[in-house]
Amino acid sequence: MLITVKLFATFRQGRFKEDRRDIPAGATVADVLASLAITPPEVGMVFVRGRHAEIDRPLADGDVVSLFPLVGGG
Amino acid sequence: MLTSEETERYARQIVLPEVGGPGQQRIKAARVLVNGAGGLGSPVLAYLTAAGVGTLGIVDHDRVARSNLQRQVIHGTPDIGRLKVESARDAIARLNPNVAVEPHAVRLTPKNARAIVAAYDVVVDATDNFPTRFAIADACAAERKPLVTAAVLTFYGTVTVLKPYETGPDGAPNPGLRGIMTEPDDSVVPTCAEFGILGTVPGVLGSLAATEVLKIITGVGTPLVRRMLTLDLRDMSFDVLAYEDATP
Repeated sequence: MLITVKLFATFRQGRFKEDRRDIPAGATVADVLASLAITPPEVGMVFVRGRHAEIDRPLADGDVVSLFPLVGGG
Repeated sequence: MLTSEETERYARQIVLPEVGGPGQQRIKAARVLVNGAGGLGSPVLAYLTAAGVGTLGIVDHDRVARSNLQRQVIHGTPDIGRLKVESARDAIARLNPNVAVEPHAVRLTPKNARAIVAAYDVVVDATDNFPTRFAIADACAAERKPLVTAAVLTFYGTVTVLKPYETGPDGAPNPGLRGIMTEPDDSVVPTCAEFGILGTVPGVLGSLAATEVLKIITGVGTPLVRRMLTLDLRDMSFDVLAYEDATP
């Protein structure tokens, strides 16, 4: 399945801003995180096609996965 | 009614067709609560003061530290050691004596949040920790107050407007904070003290938050409801993410 992964804030460091990648059928957000060496406690917000998703959410062809770290400073 | 002093002071925004005298009256009548008189809070307070918001409530239990002055520009060197709400109150008085200040030198918690936010029209989250952010968001949802929330870290920032008590054009409720993220374990959240923050970053995000407040008060433009503006100031990329909560 072809998905788009968009990274925000500090997740971009050492990685990318946007990437299209082929993932196996049945892969979840958690699988994408693991492939990026991002651990679940680091994650602030996850959106799939603009809708909030949990990390065990299975992905579908064409999904756009947006990943934010915990950004809470002020 | 605006005095002649106010008419002269706010002339540059009164002349905007979208604001005019009626808009300035709304700004003068508005009561805005700003949670946090720090990096984000400083530009929020400064610009809302300059714009003539009638009453500013300020919530902050902390005192000014030397390391704050790199970015918390509403405070100055003589304010080191003072309560931030008092330092900010004095800065506001110097900038615009027409603005009334209601200082709340407390830590906002789930126990006191609703009573505090209830007295205001618009609320700003300019805090620096998630327990407080969630307490503010829960209180604003319960009291049906629009919440402008901004956050920063290193060179990055986000700002959005939460109005979960209203529905969108699709008839579905707007997402609240708990609809777009799970409250994290605060002990693992990266802080600006640990990872750093360029002083201009909260300056930019705070100015954007103040802009959203003025838009909400005057009805100008389209507030960032169901949209998150995210900034990467390393490469100056600004992205707007349209978002929904998980519940269809």
